[in-house]
This record gives sequence, structure tokens and C-alpha cells, in this order.
Amino acid sequence: MQAKPLLALVGALALTTLTSCSNAGLLSRRPAATNLGLLAAEQRRDPALSGDGRLLASIIQRGGKSTVVLQEQPGGRQLALKHLRSHQPHRSPALSWNGRYLAVLIQQGQHPIAVIEDRLRGTLLRLPPLGDAMPEALSLAPDGRRLALQVVQGGQQRVQVFDLTGLLEADPPAGRP
Amino acid sequence: MISPAATATTELTWRELAWRRQARQVALATAGAVLGLGLSGCMGATPVPMGGLNRQLEQAGNNRNPSLAGRWLALINGRGGRDQVLLLDLDQQRPVPVPGLNRPDALPISVSVDVSGDRIVLIRQLEGRSELVLYRRSLQSLQPIAMAPPAVPVAVQLRADGRELALQVSRDGLWQVDLIQLP
Repeated sequence: MQAKPLLALVGALALTTLTSCSNAGLLSRRPAATNLGLLAAEQRRDPALSGDGRLLASIIQRGGKSTVVLQEQPGGRQLALKHLRSHQPHRSPALSWNGRYLAVLIQQGQHPIAVIEDRLRGTLLRLPPLGDAMPEALSLAPDGRRLALQVVQGGQQRVQVFDLTGLLEADPPAGRP
Repeated sequence: MISPAATATTELTWRELAWRRQARQVALATAGAVLGLGLSGCMGATPVPMGGLNRQLEQAGNNRNPSLAGRWLALINGRGGRDQVLLLDLDQQRPVPVPGLNRPDALPISVSVDVSGDRIVLIRQLEGRSELVLYRRSLQSLQPIAMAPPAVPVAVQLRADGRELALQVSRDGLWQVDLIQLP
């Protein structure tokens, strides 16, 4: 008669052990919102999460062109980008804390340039070309105050950092000024 | 011989010329000032290179794969035939130690830092295999991150708060993106 409570106790202990093991494990993986609204089997690269984790930018092949897409996480609902529907190939997207700013490399003529779409104001900031230095990748600081560009110049890979404080309002974490 | 009338006319002309010259100089100076102000206004609307830092980076050799978060810049630096991860404090404009992160027999592929500068995720090639690791600077610990189903990690970006990472992998011949929660 007392077997049931004993079994329940053992079961609870086992469950607790499993849960704690799972928490002690390093990771829980979930696929990005590939299957939601976009083809599961398509190629996707250059992922970038917003600081709060609610948005994911990545590069997919659309009509044969590498194009940046922005999706909510979780769920995968795709969000419209006002200025980033052309000038492919796109490369190396980066998002600010709340996803207000999306920085990405686009193609302008023969050269890639860095641009930043302000999703709040609907504006696009184009960073001027850097002479013969070809941008290859970028990183936007989560608060939007700095931008780092990886460029190739004279066969050398270099990183240049720019101060954007005069150009962009800060995009701080929620609850901070 | 110059007549008095002609002399008066000449003086007038010289005075007029001098006045015109002065007026032109004032106009040029004004235009220069206006242009200067305009240019400085435009300069305010362009990104300002962080000169001192950029010079330091240039002197440090080849640099790639920058990752900015808060006051931190992580990147992969190549010098003397060896690639290694550098973590720079942008406020101090100098590298900070990352003991245990770099190995002479490992080739760093992709790196990303969180806003606290404590967590660094790294893809590196070691003994011919690519692996994903999490480095905790405060603990000086390096922990491998498994990928299931198995895949080859290609590029990584750590969320600013360090709680999640976005990973580009090669799996079954496709580029895919995994999101991995970190404790």
C-alpha cells in the first residue's frame, strides 16, 4: 500500500536530478527561426542577435542574392526593413540592444560600404567609403556608440573603430537612460 | 607729366582698389569662416575614427573578426605567424590579459565578447577540428560547447548580455544558424 508514495518520491527525486543535470549542462539549443516563414532547407549565415535577444538578423539567399532578414525571436515573424531591399550582396549584419539599429555591409557600385538603418526613425546612415580600404565585416556596439570595421587594405587585414556618438542616439538596455 | 586732376583720379583709383581689396579679403574671410563652419558641421555628421586606438591596432599587425560590446573590443590578431585573440579595453585603450584563452597550437576562427567583458565565445581549430568554447575571464576557465546534432561551427556572435549565442554552422552541406542558451 505504501509502494505508491515511495514510487512518487523516487520519481520526484529522479526528475529533480534530471532537471538539475540539465541546468548544470552548458546549453540548451534551439534552431533559429528558420522554419517559420522561411524555407527550412535554405542557406543562412552571419547571425546576429540584438542585445535583448528578441531579434535575430541573418543573411539568406533571396532571388539568388544574399539579403539581410530580420526576425523576432522566438517565433520567427519577419520584420520589414525600409532601406535594405536592394544593393546586394549584404554581409555581416549587427544589431543594437533593442534592435533599433541594424548595421550591415551593402554593395554600392563596385565597393561594399557600411550602412546603419534606424528602425525607429526610418532613416539610413551611409558611412563614406574609406578610400582603397575594402570593408569585409563589421561590429556595432550594442548601445550604438561605436562601430568596428574589418577592412582589407594593401593586402593587410585591419580593424578600424569609429565613434558614432555624434551620429546616433544611444540604444541602451531597457530601463537605462 | 601727370596733371593734378589726373593725380587725384589716380589716388581715387588706388583708394578704390585698396577698398575693393579689403572688401574682397573680408568677403573671402567670411566665406572661409562660413565654409569652415559648414564643414565642421558636416564633419560632425560623419563617423569619427578613434585615431589613437586605430594607430595602435595598425601597429599590432593583421587584425580581423572584431566584436564590440560596452567598453570591450575582441578581435583576432595575427603577428609573427601566430593568430591569437586580443581583448582590448577601449576606455584604457590597451589590451587586457586573457590567461588560458590562447593556445599556440590552436587557430582562432571567430570570436565574440559580451558587454561585461567576462564572457568570450570562440571558435578555434585544434588538431584539425573546429570547436566552440566559452571562456570566463573572471574564472580563467575554458569550457567546450557541444553542438547537437553535430555540426562544424563557422561563425559566432554572443548576445550582449552573454546569455545566448548565435552560431553559424555547416551541417549536412548547408549553412545553418543555431541559437544556444548559456547558463
